[in-house]
Amino acid sequence: MSAEHPTEMAQRPAETKPTKPAIDWRGRLLDRAPFLVACLMLALIVGIYGSLQSGVFTLDEINLDTAAAMTLMLAATGQTIVLLRGGIDLSIGGMISLGTVIAATRFTDDPSTTALWTLVILVLGFLIGALNGLLISLLKLQPFLVTLATWSVLNGVAMIILPTDGGSIPGWWVGFASAQFIGLTSPVWMLLALIVFWWWFRATRIGITIQASGSNEKSAFLSGVSITRVNVVTYGLSGLFAAGAALFLVTQTGAGSPTIGKDYILPSVAAAVIGGVSLFGGRGHLAGTLIGAFVLTLIGNLVFVLHVSSYWQPVASGVILLLSVLASSVAEKAARNRVQ
Amino acid sequence: MSAFLVRNRLIVLAYAGMVVLLLVTALFSPGFLSVSNMRSTVVLAAFVGIVALGQTFVIIGGGIDLSVPWVLNSAAIVMALLCSGQDLPLVWVMPLLLAAGAFIGLINGIGVAQFGVPPIIMTLATNVILQGLILVLTGGSPTPSAPALIQFLSVGRIGGFPVIALIWLALTLVATLLLSKAAFGRHLYALGTSATVAEFSGVPTARTTILTYVISGLTAAFAGMLLTGYSGQAYLGMGDAYLFTSIAAVAIGGASILGGSGHYLGTVAGAMVLTILTGLLPALNLSSGALLIVYGAVILLTVSIGSETFAGLGGKLRRKEG
Amino acid sequence: MDLVTVKGLSKRYGGIVALSEATFSARAGEVHALLGENGAGKSTFIQILSGAVQHDGGSILVDGQDYRPAHPDAAQALGIAAVFQELSLIPDLSVEQNIWFRHEPRTWLGTVNRTEMRRKTLTLLNKYNFPALRPDQELRRLTLAERQIVEIAKGLAKDPRILILDEATSALPAREAEWLLKLTRQLAGEGRLVIFISHRMAEVRAIADRLTIFRNGSTVAAHEANAVSDDKIVTQMIGRHLDRLYPERIATATDRIALKVKNFSSGSRLSGVDFALREGEVLGVGGLQGHGQRELFQALFGATRASGTIELWGKPASIGNPRQALTGKDGIALVPEDRRGQGLLLTKSVRENLTLSVIKRFTENGLLSRQKEAALVKEMVDFLRIKAGTPEQLAGTLSGGNQQKVIFGKMLLTEARVLLLYDPTRGVDVGTKGEIFQLMRDLAAKGYAILFHSSDMPELVHVADRVLVMRNGRIAATLEGDHISEEEILRAAMLETRAA
Repeated sequence: MSAEHPTEMAQRPAETKPTKPAIDWRGRLLDRAPFLVACLMLALIVGIYGSLQSGVFTLDEINLDTAAAMTLMLAATGQTIVLLRGGIDLSIGGMISLGTVIAATRFTDDPSTTALWTLVILVLGFLIGALNGLLISLLKLQPFLVTLATWSVLNGVAMIILPTDGGSIPGWWVGFASAQFIGLTSPVWMLLALIVFWWWFRATRIGITIQASGSNEKSAFLSGVSITRVNVVTYGLSGLFAAGAALFLVTQTGAGSPTIGKDYILPSVAAAVIGGVSLFGGRGHLAGTLIGAFVLTLIGNLVFVLHVSSYWQPVASGVILLLSVLASSVAEKAARNRVQ
Repeated sequence: MSAFLVRNRLIVLAYAGMVVLLLVTALFSPGFLSVSNMRSTVVLAAFVGIVALGQTFVIIGGGIDLSVPWVLNSAAIVMALLCSGQDLPLVWVMPLLLAAGAFIGLINGIGVAQFGVPPIIMTLATNVILQGLILVLTGGSPTPSAPALIQFLSVGRIGGFPVIALIWLALTLVATLLLSKAAFGRHLYALGTSATVAEFSGVPTARTTILTYVISGLTAAFAGMLLTGYSGQAYLGMGDAYLFTSIAAVAIGGASILGGSGHYLGTVAGAMVLTILTGLLPALNLSSGALLIVYGAVILLTVSIGSETFAGLGGKLRRKEG
Repeated sequence: MDLVTVKGLSKRYGGIVALSEATFSARAGEVHALLGENGAGKSTFIQILSGAVQHDGGSILVDGQDYRPAHPDAAQALGIAAVFQELSLIPDLSVEQNIWFRHEPRTWLGTVNRTEMRRKTLTLLNKYNFPALRPDQELRRLTLAERQIVEIAKGLAKDPRILILDEATSALPAREAEWLLKLTRQLAGEGRLVIFISHRMAEVRAIADRLTIFRNGSTVAAHEANAVSDDKIVTQMIGRHLDRLYPERIATATDRIALKVKNFSSGSRLSGVDFALREGEVLGVGGLQGHGQRELFQALFGATRASGTIELWGKPASIGNPRQALTGKDGIALVPEDRRGQGLLLTKSVRENLTLSVIKRFTENGLLSRQKEAALVKEMVDFLRIKAGTPEQLAGTLSGGNQQKVIFGKMLLTEARVLLLYDPTRGVDVGTKGEIFQLMRDLAAKGYAILFHSSDMPELVHVADRVLVMRNGRIAATLEGDHISEEEILRAAMLETRAA
């Protein structure tokens, strides 16, 4: 018998099961720590908000808050897919601006024209995202730089189409955000749709492959994954969701703006990180991102209700972001210490 | 000499690009190469260059500093407030604010190096927190104008040379020395290439990381004060444009966004390229939107070139042993 | 009829010939072993067979058909799967998700059919008697050995006609290695071809029907396993007599204690060791893998936290990080096992790598002196005979042996006289191995104190003056003189603790 064989497994008697407990509760808890911290934060914010303001725990409030958060949620959904892949998409800022600008200049009261242009915006979002993915794969460039560049290009195109905020959105399109079905407005239904989408997406082969590529790109490549195809789908979806975010945004603003997109780039990353999505790829769930988006949006409400200057909102967002990351970092270190 | 050029080919390319760009602009805009125009181009580029100095160090070390907009803005606003237009307070205000910028950098660095917070998140958070704090401080109302002395530093001249260009030159020398001729530079390049290998080689990785963010905080604060002198006023949002341009200047200058390679001399060329482009487009009668498109295209172009030259090397490195 | 026939296969990477004129033939229902030193071409060969890499010249016939897969997927579609040493597993997925990755059974919605996947997993694991694995466990929680087993399951899940196993037993403990050997015979019995790479003669003897020997990028011979002796195999693998590999052992140890370690513990794997390393001594550290050897070396160097006391040259030392370890003549230096991840900056030059730890030595008035640096570089390149075109050559383009020399040089420049060498000859060609062993003896003669671990027992036996055998994080035995032999090391490593 040769001496090189390690003994990590030999210490377990052959005839009994592994000595590890049936379900590793502590491990699972630690894994989800960032997500749980986010839930806690949301509960806290809602709690404080609810105690200071009446009518918070009503359907109306849910409808309103979801509408307020939906643009960010859509943008952050795309970003979550990209983060899962281990990348980052800065170009959504440009896509959102471009989307609002095209909508504000092309939408008319005629539903078929508007429908056509909606399609154009969505397809454009996907194609530009796919282009991002191609550039990243074929030119072997870093996502940060590629999407920074495309952000600039998209931003520029938006500015050329509509140099300053303006344009107009048909009233019925704006009204979409308040349209109700069984007491819940469309944003709430969209939220539910997002959750269903995610549940389905993560169970598909492409969803798993995207997560795998983010978890360990080398292993995925060795397993035969076409990294190019994965990147095209990942960034394409991100662009698609950014386009969707733009389409929703105009229901809130009623106009187009060539600069509004940049306000959603970093918050989309922040929402995901607060929700426990790892910046290194391979881990995270949309549920966390959605909670993170709610947290970021509701801070504004909270600040208002506490009667402090609205300028405290960015401060609170920054602090919450840091706390969340520190929580994940601590949890990750603890998890790592338990393995091997 | 040729070996030197080959090794630093990306920086050489950046300067070559700059020269080509100058000539192209001169073609479309006859007055562009005039002394006065070149002077103002250099002055504008200096601001980008100074902010990008700190960014260069941070990026070479493998990080990124997203807090420059509001470190810049905070220094500008606080300076205007504390000086109230007088020159004398500058004596203590300037060092104080430089120290404050360095302190923010210290916080960023400690977050990244000791607590393992990803740089994007850490610097994003400090940026946003600073923004909120300054907004609370000023309540959104305008601040006093800049003291005359600062205006002189930004706009004035000594013997025909813009003072700020001389400042930029001095800073370039310091940065070049640090990167090429000091232990800090070697440590930084190693850290940016592989933090683990650097650690195993005895490089003081935490200290080096923290220093890069401190430098970035310093240069951002400095740039903020100088910019106030340039426009005569500190206003909210004045730092926002410098995030993109500082990163773009570093990338165009040939540095890898992942860290481990690049040089401030390249960033200088990058800053010049970006500034010349800003001058080119009005000459071509293009709007500011078009400028942004060109910026994006230029970044893509330059990083692709940089990536291609490494692509062959990457292929060699990926060969497994045995 | 042969299942696979290979003729004149060749592959170059830039200027380096990885394979030239390789030939090979194997039948279905056979276990065929590939033998050869590291760098001999076996890995390149199987990479080509599995579709991970394209060959330049020569031909491969599978079932009489021309075989040139553009991609591992194509190879898998033709029934050829490989289990490499470099695992292709995804840490954030579960065991069963990894096994069926990209081949998951699906529902009509396009989503993964979890019940079906579980059923298939259990069927597979039971059919081949796999050691205990929980299908739903996240891969990152598994030990290296367990991951290797998952990788094997992943290969089998593709139902391959030809299964390639690249040193699959190296990460496995004894019982699981036995299982794997039985598995290869079971697979062969099912009519599959198993191509098996291993360094271990005993294993090869236990299962192989035929074997092919690689050396220096080519195939030198193929034999029926029962028709060739071990000696012949070794000679054909190495091309020279084994004895000349190891230098003559001269007693150079003095009475002066260079490193004294008391009650030294780190993490869960190192539970309290005591030993003394003398000036001029080469002290080997052996035992079965995973018993604290790696932790000992990393902790001594300050790369991980430890408790206990260390004395260097009679003075207490507190080493909290590598920087505190590399303090010059009284310091302690480590040549780590992971060349690429811990030892070298692949994209930087040989010069920059060599001088990284000793920048103070060529700094004058705060500025670096190119001349002094060049002098230090030349000193090491000459002393170690590092084969690089110029010192500006990028470290990543050097051969494994030369890369190892650069790391040695980097540590030698620090002038630390206590050297920790962790598996210094792994992945190094035979020629350089010999140089490294001679270097160790030369350094010992100069008064260096060397702590040396090798996963290759014969190396320990032939090179070390004394051997510490570790078991369960402690030192189970200290062997000296005539007691240093493979049997004694094994006995101390595996049986209950004797007096240390």
